[in-house]
Amino acid sequence: MKSSPKLRPCGWDALVVLLVLLLAVGCGAAVWGGNEATHDLTAVISVDGETAETVALSSLSGPEERTLTANGYTLHLVLSPEEVYMEAADCPTQDCVHTGHISRSGQSIVCLPARVIVRLEGGQKDESAPDVVIG
Amino acid sequence: MKLTTKQLTLCAVLTAMALALSYLENFFPLSLAIPIPGIKLGLANIVTVFALYALGPGQALLILLARCFLGAVFAGNMNALIFSLLGGVTAMLVMIGLSRLRKLSVYGVSVGGAAAHNCGQVAAAVLTLGNTAPLYYLPVLLGVSLFTGALTGLISACLFRALAHTDLMKG
Repeated sequence: MKSSPKLRPCGWDALVVLLVLLLAVGCGAAVWGGNEATHDLTAVISVDGETAETVALSSLSGPEERTLTANGYTLHLVLSPEEVYMEAADCPTQDCVHTGHISRSGQSIVCLPARVIVRLEGGQKDESAPDVVIG
Repeated sequence: MKLTTKQLTLCAVLTAMALALSYLENFFPLSLAIPIPGIKLGLANIVTVFALYALGPGQALLILLARCFLGAVFAGNMNALIFSLLGGVTAMLVMIGLSRLRKLSVYGVSVGGAAAHNCGQVAAAVLTLGNTAPLYYLPVLLGVSLFTGALTGLISACLFRALAHTDLMKG
C-alpha cells in the first residue's frame, strides 16, 4: 500500500462537491444563457464539424424528413415548424433517437458515431420551459 | 519504472478487471434515463482509485493506458480511443493532485475524478466534432458526476475496508 486513503467522507470532500457544482452552474450560465432572440428558430445541421444545411423552421409548412448519411451511418431526421427529432438511426448507441424532440433555442441532438449535430438557434426564448428534462 | 513480479501481476489483474467493469457498465445504460452521448457510471474508475492508493500514480497510469488501448481494440472502435484517453488521463491527473491533499477522503478524490473525466470527454467531443455543441451537455454531466463519483467512491471505500488486512495491501 503506497498510501492509505481516508474512507469516511469529510468536510473537505464537500468543498470538492461545491467546486464541481459551481463549475456546473458557471458552465450552464455560459452555455445556456445569453441566447437572445435575433431571428427565427433555425435548425443547423452539421456533419463532420461543417454546416451541411440550415433550415428556418418557420419556413416549413409541415413535417419534412431528411436522410443524413455520414461516416457509414444513416440517420432519419424529422423537421417540423414546431420541433425537430431523430426518428431513426442505425448507429449502435441510439443516443440521438433517445434525445427525443427538441424545440427550443440552444438545444441540440448529437450523434457521436456519425459525427452529426443538429442544433436549434435563434427564436424566442421560452423562459417558462425547463432547461433540461432528466429521466 | 521497475516492477516486481507481484506488482506486474497486480497491474495485469487490475487492467482485466477495469475492462470487465467497462463491459459490465453496458448492462446499466444510464443513457436511457439521461440521453446524453457517452454518459455512464464510470465503474472502471474504481480500479483507477484503488490502483492510485495501492500501487501509486505511475502504475495507476499504466493500468489506465492499457485499459484505454485494449478497450478500443476490443470494441473495434479507434474513434473511441481519443474519448477514453482524454477523459481517463484528465481524471487521473486531477485524482493524483487531489489524493496528495491528505485531508480529502476517497469520496472527494473520486468525485473530482468523475467531474474531470466528463470535462475531458466533452473536450474530446468538441475536438472530434469540430463544434462547440457538446459543451451544452457539460453542466448536466458535471451534475451527474457528483452522483457517479460518490458511487464509485463508496465502492472504493468498501473495497479498501474489505482488503485492509489482506496480504495484498502489505506488499
